[in-house]
Amino acid sequence: MEIANSAVNDQARQHAEETTLAALVSQYSGTLYRVAFSVLRNAADAEDAVQEAFMRVLRHRDTLGEVRDQRVWLVRIVWNIVLDRKRRAKTRPETDDVTELTRVLPAAGLSAEERAAAAQHHAHVLACVEKLPAKEREVLMLSAFEELSSVEIASVLAITESSVRSRLFRARNLMAGLLNHSRSVR
Amino acid sequence: MNPPNRFSHDSVPGAAEETLRLIASLPAPEGLEERVHSALRAAPRTARILHWPVALTSSSAWMRSSAMRSAAAAAIVCVVAGGGWSIYSRVQPPKVIAMPAHVAAPGGFSNAGAMRTPQTLNGPVVKHPVPKPAHAKTTARTAPTPLHRGQPVAAQAPKPPAPPAN
Repeated sequence: MEIANSAVNDQARQHAEETTLAALVSQYSGTLYRVAFSVLRNAADAEDAVQEAFMRVLRHRDTLGEVRDQRVWLVRIVWNIVLDRKRRAKTRPETDDVTELTRVLPAAGLSAEERAAAAQHHAHVLACVEKLPAKEREVLMLSAFEELSSVEIASVLAITESSVRSRLFRARNLMAGLLNHSRSVR
Repeated sequence: MNPPNRFSHDSVPGAAEETLRLIASLPAPEGLEERVHSALRAAPRTARILHWPVALTSSSAWMRSSAMRSAAAAAIVCVVAGGGWSIYSRVQPPKVIAMPAHVAAPGGFSNAGAMRTPQTLNGPVVKHPVPKPAHAKTTARTAPTPLHRGQPVAAQAPKPPAPPAN
């Protein structure tokens, strides 16, 4: 009887874990994709990163019950994955931001020339973002996500909220300097 | 509800903020969820907790007998002890102690081929009798009776006369 009971419990627990995992995929896959795309700026790579994040969750599904904020936990997982991938991809040639942005950015009411110009502008801004120091760049990119509060950004980056604020302040100042410099050069 | 993002965008250059927000608000591609679901279904699930065979679980009958448990424990002890003894008997410590080769310090003074002799205990010293000279014998014969060895010379000198009594 004990064996039968434990088998039934195992099956029930497994079913509950799968249900929880499916709910997480439905709820947060979009958010995770956008976080991944903001760093990798490649649709296929971002999707791969999302899949890898959920595979990690699958591997550690026994600890799902201990997670307090599943959304921040998932964002942290995918954030670590994309940073690792980007670090490894440094040896490869850089992604063509202009082409990728032209493809993915919304183009409602824009002509082809305007789309190309907008994509070039965004690519230039992103190139300036890439010149920022890593700590400031990470905070600036995560702060663009409206659904992440400063506390949650601090949790994702494993720093304090005051550090988030100070880094964001420095990032904005550096960004302003970089953009002004590029304008004056032009 | 999450607290709103308290980072206002007014102090940042508008272009950078707009670009980052635009990228952060891109919609996920169609069918992403289904692809993730299918990837999760295809993932191997073999990394689960190992299940003991039914015959080895604690609920089986053979484990309840204390004699069987003792026999199993004794068998395990024998196997472990026998294995240890077989390893010990095959692997013997080397008898020869390897001494490290002396390496001269580079750039220093050489020892000019000098060898260090270990300091050993002094052995017994054999004293050969020294022959005395001939005139020493004659003086020894003519000498007065020898002084008492236990007393100093001053003590053996003649005492001065006592002072006269009044």
